[in-house]
Amino acid sequence: MPELRKDPVIGRWVIISTERAKRPDQFTGSEVEKEEFAPGEKCPFCEGNESMTPPEIYSLRKPDSRPNGPGWEIRVIPSITPLLQIEGDVERRGHGMYDLINARGAHEIIVETPQHVKEFQLPHEQAVKSLNIILDRLHDLERDQRIKYVLVFKNYGKAAGGGHIKHSRLQLIGTPVNLKRVKEELAGAKSYYDYKDRCVFCDIIKQELKMGQRVVAESEYFIALSPFASRFPFEMWLLPKSHSCDFYKMDRSQLPDFVSLRKEVFGKMRKVIGDFPFNLICHTAPFRRDAKKRGYWETIEYDYHWHFELLPILTRVAGFEWGSGFYINPLPPEDACKSVREAKV
Amino acid sequence: MNELRCDPITGRWIIVFLDRMPKPGEFLLEPHQKDNKGCAFCWGNEAMTPPEIIAHRKHGPPNSPGWTVRVVPNKYPALRIEGDLDKEGMGLFDRMNGVGAHEVIIDTPDHFRDMGDLNYSEAEEVVWAYLARSIDLKRDKRFKYILIFKNYGKIAGASLEHPHSQLIALPIVPKRVQEEINGAAKYFEYKERCVFCDMVREECAEEERVIYEDDRFLAFCPFVSRFPYEVWILPKKHHSDFTNIERDSIPSVARALRDSLARIRTLLSDPPYNFILHTSPINGHERDDYHWHIEIIPKLAKVAGFEWGSGFYINPVPPDMAAKNLLSVDIELKLDGIAKKGEQ
Repeated sequence: MPELRKDPVIGRWVIISTERAKRPDQFTGSEVEKEEFAPGEKCPFCEGNESMTPPEIYSLRKPDSRPNGPGWEIRVIPSITPLLQIEGDVERRGHGMYDLINARGAHEIIVETPQHVKEFQLPHEQAVKSLNIILDRLHDLERDQRIKYVLVFKNYGKAAGGGHIKHSRLQLIGTPVNLKRVKEELAGAKSYYDYKDRCVFCDIIKQELKMGQRVVAESEYFIALSPFASRFPFEMWLLPKSHSCDFYKMDRSQLPDFVSLRKEVFGKMRKVIGDFPFNLICHTAPFRRDAKKRGYWETIEYDYHWHFELLPILTRVAGFEWGSGFYINPLPPEDACKSVREAKV
Repeated sequence: MNELRCDPITGRWIIVFLDRMPKPGEFLLEPHQKDNKGCAFCWGNEAMTPPEIIAHRKHGPPNSPGWTVRVVPNKYPALRIEGDLDKEGMGLFDRMNGVGAHEVIIDTPDHFRDMGDLNYSEAEEVVWAYLARSIDLKRDKRFKYILIFKNYGKIAGASLEHPHSQLIALPIVPKRVQEEINGAAKYFEYKERCVFCDMVREECAEEERVIYEDDRFLAFCPFVSRFPYEVWILPKKHHSDFTNIERDSIPSVARALRDSLARIRTLLSDPPYNFILHTSPINGHERDDYHWHIEIIPKLAKVAGFEWGSGFYINPVPPDMAAKNLLSVDIELKLDGIAKKGEQ
């Protein structure tokens, strides 16, 4: 019997299909296409090719090296094709019944290694350094009053919008509006808190630890879950075990632990489904600059819990899902969890 | 300069590219060769599907050739028609049984002509089938919502090539529809007007984004299009529930749908697409604040991590330009295997 499951955070229903069910191993072969460079094309993210990108915003480099030259470990640059431009004021206006804003904001690329290395092969210490830099960038962008929210994400593989160059990198987009999907999640978490006086994510972690069937891996400070109402086969969430609403205020000494867990999950998933395209997205609380004007955000420190969502792109999202916001997942998350948990790396 | 636009219904923001604009040719897809060998939806293969629920026939008994539109249960349903919902909680989680109807509407017996290639009377029959099935399923007390949609092309999620639409009756109101309803209700509370009616007025007045108009229906590229070449079809007269459509308006909606799809097919070289019919939930009364409509989404751009995580879409084609390009093509119809220009 197929089953309808409700996401406890935002209230979205998902069909966990059984008639169309697939075994976990039927998702293999979802390989990411090979990296192909056109003749004469070079990777703009490799050491030595710094002149191919806009001037860097920030970098972690050897003391004797110069900006926009070799000798760096992590490099932050503006996107070559930015969606939002950083210069200028945010202007809001109307057009008949419609509302508009000019596209101001930040769009940055964090190159995680000077070597040409894919996402999955990124060395542990580089991954820790790159997350450290992300936290620095978030602290910096918090001071820009125009930016309401910063989304940190990683796209890998063409199907996930990752582009053809496979040099490991993170992206961030700072927007002048709060994002719809994030707002929904915040509103869902707040209404749960108003009702129960507890954080819904903390409750999920507790219940999953008790039930066990959807816990993929666990480290000292973090946990990886197949969510109860997974929209996609092999969807995974990575959450800090202790409550915290702001990713950028996390205890940096926990970063190596986080990276180890992420690496473990990726490694096991690759054993099960091969080299898969994915989106990895960080959900965190919006900036709260003015402590006096809190209102809506009053309980956010208690009701919201930052986390990463890992969405492998293995199935095609069809019109039905788009138009309805109602997903059909052909793989029960318990099965996904079991196969990943038991994979030997 | 790119622009952020806010959807007046759901409050969703999107980015529209105004300066880095791709040409329609950039979306060209690899040509796909169609093959009707062993197709379960062609004449003569009726035994390959579950028995039909309804059909429009020129001749022949049920489950034999001679039909023009045929509705069958989905052989691999996402939801099953038998059984009770058995709603339950599991700790903080909620679940229920996947009870619902999942039907396939075979739009035409012709394997090689999609809805954009049908003539008006054939397209009308498809709309009649949508209506007949909706009216029938509305009577089942377990269902709260009826979704009619179409996936065309593999990338858009169609597992079979033969042109078909689908209908799913659900025991819940889907999230995106609920959001749209909530947004529209808020607008109504504030302005005492339906946001969709306002949109019809605004688009008619501005004209720039309209690609089809008659006295009853309007097709346009919405000001806040999430996707390149997105098209919406709205009845000019306010109705929240599709099943309350005046029967003499059916030819008009069929024409709007056929023409929009024909323009998309001609301009963008037969792209994969989805369309979905949004109507009010089943509860027996008309709402002042909601307005049924059809959303057509050609599958041209890949949606990446940023869109998923944020619900914030990036559209590389300004809708005014999309409408202009769609209007610039002559509608080409494939009738009886021969491409013919013009209206039919």
